[in-house]
Amino acid sequence: MTFSNETLSAYADGELDAATAAAVEAAMANDLQIAQRIAEYRALQARLQQAFAPVLAEPVPERLLASARGAPARQRPSNVSALQPRPRARWSWPQWGAMAASLVIGVLFGPLLLRSPTGNTPIDTRGGQMLAHGTLERALSEQLASTQPAAAPVQIGVSFRARSGAYCRTFVMHDESQLAGLACRGRSAWRVETLTRSDSGPAGAGLRPAGSALPPAVARTLDELIAGEPLDAAGEAAARAGGWNR
Amino acid sequence: MSVDGLREELVTLLPRLRRFARVLARNVHDADDLVQTAIERALAHAGQLRTGAPVAGWMFGILRNAWIDEQRARGRRTALLAPAESGENVADPSRGEPADSLAVQDAVARLPQEQRLAVALVLVEGLSYKEAAHVMEVPIGTLTSRLARAREALQAMLGERNGA
Repeated sequence: MTFSNETLSAYADGELDAATAAAVEAAMANDLQIAQRIAEYRALQARLQQAFAPVLAEPVPERLLASARGAPARQRPSNVSALQPRPRARWSWPQWGAMAASLVIGVLFGPLLLRSPTGNTPIDTRGGQMLAHGTLERALSEQLASTQPAAAPVQIGVSFRARSGAYCRTFVMHDESQLAGLACRGRSAWRVETLTRSDSGPAGAGLRPAGSALPPAVARTLDELIAGEPLDAAGEAAARAGGWNR
Repeated sequence: MSVDGLREELVTLLPRLRRFARVLARNVHDADDLVQTAIERALAHAGQLRTGAPVAGWMFGILRNAWIDEQRARGRRTALLAPAESGENVADPSRGEPADSLAVQDAVARLPQEQRLAVALVLVEGLSYKEAAHVMEVPIGTLTSRLARAREALQAMLGERNGA
């Protein structure tokens, strides 16, 4: 049985009616060429996604934010602390005033990854939330910043308790994606709160573990969430032993 | 929908709108100009959007129209002037993206407009055929065949079997 490109393309996108999809699947079992064409369509889609995904992690230009908001985008006050008392003076990441308007990507990655055909992404999307997946999920659950090998594909940065009581950890992915972010432990999964590109952050400021520079968007989320001080090596190990439960 | 409600949704949508525009126009500045135009048009017509209606699809439609308008205007300009660099498909070489991403972006930029739109909406933004056809104002069958042709063209340009 032969199928048109349109039919196979629609099959790859999950857009065929059940009967036609079943016919394609039956044919696929006997005809490797059909299976291969569909695999090619999906591989192409994965490459397309990869080619354009970095745009999501770019800081949104100020002029666009200003148009959308209808007012000049507010910058985080870095020199007017008298007006806005800062809650945690002892643990203060640098104020990236000019970057304040860059986004928290959290809710936006959903639609991007819904169709990801490879199953190989570090992020999974369920119910509009981004959840850590695969190597990222394993690193968040198992890796300790104090003992992780320098060559680990995911580097864990700071682990801390959020004001909600949940354990959160920052991470940098040392692969092509260059993603960096912050995830907090929910009941059964790591929820990714911030995701950005790791190459955008200037170095500086102590307290930052070597080899895992924290991009501004991540530092900002950390600053917003953290209760008290980051976990030290013993605290990190104890939290892991407790399964990262509150 | 209220203008304030729309503003909030737009701020959330900005990264996706920028990505969609980048598939269409590629050059960062042209793409962001399109996003800006689309935001302005959307805010001027916020009343047309029902509360609870999907803002993303509506915005993609507005951005698509802005792009088509822009292409027409550009066509008029280049018809009057010499066939100079259109600038539309120029990537920013300073961005340091992986070679494969650049090759894919190049290939997408060479697709005809309507095929590029189909790719942007379905394969990059993940819209269903029905949603994408609605944004493009064409029947689903038309969208389906544009998408299939776009895939064939991309595979021919990228010239590899099984993706990498």
